[in-house]
Amino acid sequence: MAYKMPVQKYSGKINEVTIGNGLKLGGESVLPFYSFDGDIGNKPAIGMEIWDIYPESWPKCLQEIFKDVADDPAKWANFCIYNYSPDFICLKFEGASPDGLDRSPEECAEIAKKVAESVSVPLVIAGCQSNEKNAKVFTKVAEALADKNFVFLSAVESNYKEVGAAVGMAYGNIVAAESSVDLNLAKQLNILITQLGIKPDRMVMDPGCSAVGYGFEYVVTTMDRIRLAALQQNDTTLQVPMILPVSFETWKVKESVATEDDAPEWGSQEERAVGMEISTAVGVLGAGANAVILRHPRSVEVVRNFINQMTE
Amino acid sequence: MARFLTIGERIHVISPTIRKALEERNPEPIIKRAREQVEAGAHYLDVNIGPADRDGEELMPWVVKVLQEEFPDTPLCLDTANMKALEAGIKVYDRKPGKPIINSADAGARIDMINLAAEYDAMVIGLCAKDGIPRDNDERIMYCTEILERAMEAGLSQENILFDPLFVVIKGMQDKQQEVLEAVRQISEMGLYTTGGLSNVSNGCPRELRGLIEATFCAMAIQCGLTSAIINPLDKLVMDVIKTADLIKERYLYADSYLDL
Amino acid sequence: MALNGMQIYKLLPQKNCKECGFPTCLAFAMKLAQGNVEAEKCPYMSDDAKAKLSEATAPPMRTVKFGAGDFEYALGGETVLFRHEKTFVNRPRFAVMFSDAMSSDEVDRKIKNVNEVNYTRISEEMHVEIAAFKCEREDKDAFISLIKKVTDSCPKVVPMIMTENTEIAEEAVRQFGDKGPILFGANDQNYEAMVNLAKDHKLLLGVTAAGKEKLYELVEKIQKAGYKELLLDAGSRNLKGTFDDMINIRRTALLSGDRTFGYPTVAFVCDMAQDKMMQLACATLFVEKYASIIVLSDIDYSIALPLFALRQNIFTDPQRPMRIEQGIYKIGAADEESPLLVTVDFALTYFIVSGEVERSKVPAWILIPDAGGYSVLTAWAAGKFNGKSIAKAVKEFEVENKLKTRELIIPGKVAVLKADIEDELPGWKVVVGTEEAATLTNFLRNYKQAAS
Repeated sequence: MAYKMPVQKYSGKINEVTIGNGLKLGGESVLPFYSFDGDIGNKPAIGMEIWDIYPESWPKCLQEIFKDVADDPAKWANFCIYNYSPDFICLKFEGASPDGLDRSPEECAEIAKKVAESVSVPLVIAGCQSNEKNAKVFTKVAEALADKNFVFLSAVESNYKEVGAAVGMAYGNIVAAESSVDLNLAKQLNILITQLGIKPDRMVMDPGCSAVGYGFEYVVTTMDRIRLAALQQNDTTLQVPMILPVSFETWKVKESVATEDDAPEWGSQEERAVGMEISTAVGVLGAGANAVILRHPRSVEVVRNFINQMTE
Repeated sequence: MARFLTIGERIHVISPTIRKALEERNPEPIIKRAREQVEAGAHYLDVNIGPADRDGEELMPWVVKVLQEEFPDTPLCLDTANMKALEAGIKVYDRKPGKPIINSADAGARIDMINLAAEYDAMVIGLCAKDGIPRDNDERIMYCTEILERAMEAGLSQENILFDPLFVVIKGMQDKQQEVLEAVRQISEMGLYTTGGLSNVSNGCPRELRGLIEATFCAMAIQCGLTSAIINPLDKLVMDVIKTADLIKERYLYADSYLDL
Repeated sequence: MALNGMQIYKLLPQKNCKECGFPTCLAFAMKLAQGNVEAEKCPYMSDDAKAKLSEATAPPMRTVKFGAGDFEYALGGETVLFRHEKTFVNRPRFAVMFSDAMSSDEVDRKIKNVNEVNYTRISEEMHVEIAAFKCEREDKDAFISLIKKVTDSCPKVVPMIMTENTEIAEEAVRQFGDKGPILFGANDQNYEAMVNLAKDHKLLLGVTAAGKEKLYELVEKIQKAGYKELLLDAGSRNLKGTFDDMINIRRTALLSGDRTFGYPTVAFVCDMAQDKMMQLACATLFVEKYASIIVLSDIDYSIALPLFALRQNIFTDPQRPMRIEQGIYKIGAADEESPLLVTVDFALTYFIVSGEVERSKVPAWILIPDAGGYSVLTAWAAGKFNGKSIAKAVKEFEVENKLKTRELIIPGKVAVLKADIEDELPGWKVVVGTEEAATLTNFLRNYKQAAS
């Protein structure tokens, strides 16, 4: 008997969302990279993470790469764009943290505007640890970057009304709904955000991330179930592209933080950290991520090569 | 697993408004009833034109076109004993929203409806009955088997048949309710799809009790495996219970706002 | 090949005797097709029908074994495509590729690397499980001495013998058969001899062909020859093609119920890229979907740490979350005066807490009692995380001998336990920590300052 390839039927499709002027995310109607089943949509995008303050807390090997430009976010952004060609820049307002510099929303807006004016790629704006503060920061930054189609990372259960109203409704940017590895909350938050009046093709979601080895099975399973619901059950509330801030997680785990003095048997710290970042990024891409955020240039290069080979 | 399939029952020749509209070829009342049901969330709309011995071949295509022009995303369930009318209706039916359902074949005089469904790649409701209400579940399962065998011969695969064990009225046949549920369970265990007319169960009961009785019966039948029902979608209690039963069956993901969707 | 209800119905006596407990033969047949009832329930079925049915109701993917003694491993036996549907059962195993065409320097370097990566992570020993040996020079003696050198130097690896030359294969199997090697290289030309060799030594046989269609035909032939301990390779050596093979072979077995492809597969990541980081990327994908053996060019900690950790996560049974061993854990250069925290033995909680402690750069101790493997609030609600269990851990792990501090920091979410713990542990003071691990870093810094 001759071999018969199995047929998997899908009834749904992920929304296509345009970031900035023309970076398109989503649009697939099959599981991630299942080109043998149908249309895999747009290539997953890669962003590089920069901060509004000098990243003192980053491992030295990582600081070293950006040390000449990291005092100035606009310079830093352009350094990344010029040297490593990311699809977007993720500008994270770590300096807004009430436990740190406690930078004012107005000041953040000023910085965001300056970076936005200087770069050729779209921005993803990320906040600090405090969701309360982020709502205020995002409101001001979204106003300063009105109608740019930039992504704001992110709206959570406690601040989605404020973030959604400002970012999505008043100032024409894109809301990311963040649900820290909780499937039902992921769906609920998407419903609530659309109930504010935001169109489904004007939002993305961050279902929550962790580094490989750190409860990563929950991340994969949450993403699998979101994608299966969207594609096989045609659950329109979950047909939203997923963006995963991989670097926020991988650079704080032991494998990346331990210096060569701490763990001599483990070899090069930089390679270990890059390995954790690449593996986590590919891990979430394989589960349906439409965009990943990374820090290390080597990770960007390898993950891009991976995406290109899978989508060629 | 697929969601529970709801078939809206409110376009029925028994209703004086509908009967008059069908006779006069007046689309308005029909469209109005269709719209109410679609907005309430019915997946399919049943269109019962009665026996229509005289003008069925002309009436069914007319009503199919009227409805499909207005509701291009809603598939239809064509309901009449008149084979020619069914055939004529299917010929003009646009399958974009889904296959038409023929309502209905049985194991007796109407078994040829199975062949009609096979010929036109339609779905069909298979009443587990021959003449009248089946005596017991042995009969139901025997009729179910007869229908299935006919379908296999005709080349109609089992997922195109919705087996209807015949729901019976609680006021007068209370002692048969458990048996009907058991029939749903047995048919479902064979991996077959099932359906039934929910309003049969509450017929003749006070208006304020009908929704409650139907919703409860439906939830219990869903647990036995029921995959669809012919219902009044305007009854919010019934619709909400179906959504909740689907949720508990894990046919879609929970979110606090699930009833809003 | 699985049978549907109607096909099974035709094998039945069709007398509707009801002795099986079902109203009709058709009902029984439908139930059999779903695998929910035993064929034995029918007293009138012919032997021929029974044989056909038992073939049709076998599990969709075979479990095969390789290796020997402490280093015996199972592959395959999966029943679902996504872990949440039930669980994945047999984790993929990692191999490093050797060849008789490599310089002895290169071989020595790889031997060293294979031996260096050897550590424990949450009670699981992490090391490369397989050394693959590719015979490229058709020189029997050179090939045998390579296998001997590597297996002598790396006692934990099981050899995978890769040759299509049956004569060389026979010699290698004769010499290393006691290690339960994988014999790789049955193709359309040599499969009869290879099958006999694998049969004689009860070995896992790697089957290779150019493309899924050819592989399918070859597996059918090998099954007919009576051998079913197989490992499949559809010949792709690039990333995209291998992904296609992995997904579709697994789906053919589990979705189509076609047992011709109901075997584990091997992914040759070593051929997909030179760059080790690119190999890491490819291997990551195949841990998720759906390789059973992943062959790398080489190994070091930068790729082992993520890969083994990922594998441990993905192959965790969703019904049984990972637990960390109970005990007292030292973070950084903690001494007897350093702060002591307590949390639960749910691995994810421990990782998050220990990660934040490490980030704070405040050396500290973390005490892990027996909390049933639940998260903090669940363990507390279940009565597993309380004064008794914490006091028991303090005694069991001799905390009072090891540390001078008599202060214990508990998770903020179980502040109510303070009095309970102080009752159970006379002389101790309980300090209520933060509600969320994320704010632990600041808490510890301030705590340390207040103390000094």
